[in-house]
Amino acid sequence: MHLVKFHRNLPKFKFWTKRRYSHALLTDENEYTEAPEYPPILDMSLQGRKLRERQIVHEKIQKLNTVEEKQIALNMPRYYGWKCVMLNEDKIPYNALPLVKCYTRTHFIPSSSLPDVYSETASLADLVVKQTKSLIEDIIILESEAVKHNYVAEQEKPEEQQKEDMITKNIVKQINRIICNKLSDKASHILSSQADYEPRHEAFWFVGGLDVPHTVRNQRKKHKWLRDQLEEPIDRPVQYIGTPLLTLRSNLPLKPLLPYVEATNPDFKVPKFSFVPESVGYHTQHRHGTNIPGFWTGDCDEFGLLSYHGRGHISVRNPSFGLEDNVEALHSQALKASFGWLLGQANYQGFTTYNDITYPLVTQTIITNGKLWSFYVYQMNTIAMHNEQMDENPKHNICFGTKPLQLYDTIENGQVKGFNEEVLKMLVQLYLNAPEERDHEMKPFLGKEEQIIADIEDDEKRRWLESRYKHLVSNRPKHYLMPEIYLWERIYKIKHNTRFFEAKRRFFERDINPFKRRLDEHLPPYIPKVLRPYPRCRKKFENTYYPKV
Amino acid sequence: MKLSQILNRQHIDFMFKKHWAVQGKRFPIDTGLEHLLKEKGIPVEDALEFVKVHERKPLSKERINIVGAYETPLPLDENNPDYKSRPCLTLTNTNVLLEGISQAQVLTKTVIAEDKLPNKIEELAEISIPKLVHEGVKKAILSANVFDCEQKKLPKVKDPARPAYNFPRILGISDRRRNEIITNKLLQLVEKSSDFELSQTRYVLNDVECKTVFDKEDDLIQFQDMSHILVTSNKPLTHELPERDIPFVKIPDLYPVKYSVTLPPQHFYDEKSIYPIQPSITNKHPHTTWLHFNRTEVSNIYETPVTDAQIHGRSLTHAFTVATAYAKQLHGEEVQDLPEPIYVNCIQTDGQKYHFGVFELNTLNVDGVEGTKNVWYCKNDVKLYDRSCYFNGMPVLENYNPKVFGYINAFYHC
Repeated sequence: MHLVKFHRNLPKFKFWTKRRYSHALLTDENEYTEAPEYPPILDMSLQGRKLRERQIVHEKIQKLNTVEEKQIALNMPRYYGWKCVMLNEDKIPYNALPLVKCYTRTHFIPSSSLPDVYSETASLADLVVKQTKSLIEDIIILESEAVKHNYVAEQEKPEEQQKEDMITKNIVKQINRIICNKLSDKASHILSSQADYEPRHEAFWFVGGLDVPHTVRNQRKKHKWLRDQLEEPIDRPVQYIGTPLLTLRSNLPLKPLLPYVEATNPDFKVPKFSFVPESVGYHTQHRHGTNIPGFWTGDCDEFGLLSYHGRGHISVRNPSFGLEDNVEALHSQALKASFGWLLGQANYQGFTTYNDITYPLVTQTIITNGKLWSFYVYQMNTIAMHNEQMDENPKHNICFGTKPLQLYDTIENGQVKGFNEEVLKMLVQLYLNAPEERDHEMKPFLGKEEQIIADIEDDEKRRWLESRYKHLVSNRPKHYLMPEIYLWERIYKIKHNTRFFEAKRRFFERDINPFKRRLDEHLPPYIPKVLRPYPRCRKKFENTYYPKV
Repeated sequence: MKLSQILNRQHIDFMFKKHWAVQGKRFPIDTGLEHLLKEKGIPVEDALEFVKVHERKPLSKERINIVGAYETPLPLDENNPDYKSRPCLTLTNTNVLLEGISQAQVLTKTVIAEDKLPNKIEELAEISIPKLVHEGVKKAILSANVFDCEQKKLPKVKDPARPAYNFPRILGISDRRRNEIITNKLLQLVEKSSDFELSQTRYVLNDVECKTVFDKEDDLIQFQDMSHILVTSNKPLTHELPERDIPFVKIPDLYPVKYSVTLPPQHFYDEKSIYPIQPSITNKHPHTTWLHFNRTEVSNIYETPVTDAQIHGRSLTHAFTVATAYAKQLHGEEVQDLPEPIYVNCIQTDGQKYHFGVFELNTLNVDGVEGTKNVWYCKNDVKLYDRSCYFNGMPVLENYNPKVFGYINAFYHC
């Protein structure tokens, strides 16, 4: 009955509604094309949809204006931080090189001298070596024997290692001082460059295509729709932390060693190392990913020239690892340090692990203990190696490196014996490698007006982002502890269901994964009533400016 | 309670009650073992009786000599073989003198020329410095105060109006690192902008310790000090004496305070002075010593805040320590009046304020106030900048004072 009535009234409703399905005639004459244009065929499988979701996020990160917002965006999916594979500069397990090569996507070329690019400055370097040789001999004698330094050993590291690094640090400071003073009138880039002592270098990136740890496989087994993808490779977040003894940086980047097209050369292919990193001596830690090349954004000297690293950790390595492995350990230290520093610099240019660099970056790394010197020159061509890119990205990074070379043989009666001028010459040549202005855009993924948060006009937003960014990268402990399954719970609640009568309140009883919590899933700071704007304001919480990704 | 009420079967309280009931009265379970043993003719002893027998004769415990990871050090008391009965009054670089500069004057027997530096330095400080170098100084200030990435816990923030209130701890650049960066970068700039002929005659050392031990009247006093940067040269530093009629500040009378106040006595010490560089080295002569004032590390022994006069006193005692340690290495421990005066430049800084001084060591005999005296030319409290920090998320450097770098440059070149 009601239905009939409704039907009778239907024409009346017609006046209320708009006829959305009719519209003005298309002005465009070219509606019809010669060949049919179909919309792209999308992969509607679960993996296909997930892939598209991820790609959208990557594009959103690329479109963000400032460096710091991009860094916060990388950390948005995890409130408690990523479970990172930790790569430390001075903790190197046995047979470390294959993993480091794969994770930094680097083709390592062992050589006995520097690449050909350096031959231009050979004659000048010879001259400088002649003039500074005696001074450097004096330094070695003075720092090794004649000066009493005040030094306090820390608890964390072996004393032998610290002692060696301390002497190295002093020698390196002096040698850097002599060479810089000598070259400052010959090379203008040395005068304007900045030297940092023990800066903080950190880098964060994703490595894809790795084997699945058993925990992840067990998780996948629980879901019906994931059972056919048990062995699908996964992304692992990787965090590098290092402290060089001394670095030099300048406002211009170094020239590339090889042309950028060489990056896709299949000769430089890097073998894959897909074993679970925990099984070869690395550990994981929950922390926010940080990319820091030794300074905060806004400093004008953004590009590294060279960095000195200590090798005190070699002296405390297990002797059963052998000499050959020690050399490999040095190579892997150099690869990590060079890639880590360059990645930090690349992040300050607006690139992230999801948005690959568009031009190569170069750095020079020296590992030394005052007597033994190894030189490395590293060209970074790519930083994209997450799951989709690991197998498809044709680009590779390239590193040239020497074995440890002796600067001198011994010190006898206050005299340096067997001083090797070639080593000093190589060192001077690294200093003489002048940076150059590039003729392409350096920061294509940053905004035109706003490139760092100090450029933001809005006072409140700028303040908030600055403090949030610094808080994030400090990785200070959270106010509340991380959620945890206590042992008694694992026994009496999970393994054996002995407390079925209790209310189910804990996260594991309610199928909540607390580590999937996003960074912005928290209450913003409360505004007390007295502080709210006059006359009436219902806004209870302060604004947050998390990037929307 | 209604009879018809249905009780929840898994009632947690009931579970606990029952649990308590069970746990409350425990009794041994009869395993039937006693019966079995008796059958086989084995004597059974009451466990309680067995325990009593052993209680009566306590076992004599032998003291076990536990070999630890390292040998336990002897306690630092009178029985220690290194203990010396004569106390040595010690001033370290983390401690300041109560009366500041005037106490330092008495201790080192020094007269002061305030706001007066040797003419040569004043002349060199007037030389104009290229703009590029000043830009470098500004970069150095910003990189020490703003752009360095250290994030360490800074001292607690206190509001005097409500002292019990706990503010969130701020993470940032510690004053030690701030000073290290700024002083090293300033010195690097000076060296890079000067001739190589000059800079190769200098040598720069970081964190070296000087120690001097001397007698004053009846007391034994030692100054242990650390040069955060010690610039040395291949020939001794000399200054031409400025004009004679300088209004020197005379050595004051500290009465009722004794000169040794707030110098804690120590009974473990070595009476040998230490100069960090061996005498065989050519670049051993002290030229300029840089001293950092790290507010978190330097304090009074009574918890009062450090005053300006105390900071100025620190410069003087520091320069005295370096000069006397060097003099003792040169002329032996027992030297009194020096044949030629020894000069040492001293720059103390907390990053922002700079205290320049030139110390002229004439005598190591510091008894009384008569006779030969040492001289301290100084120019204190020169600010390099007014403010340099993050303000509203933006790096700020306000009122850069180029004169300071002029003085630093002059000190290096003199």
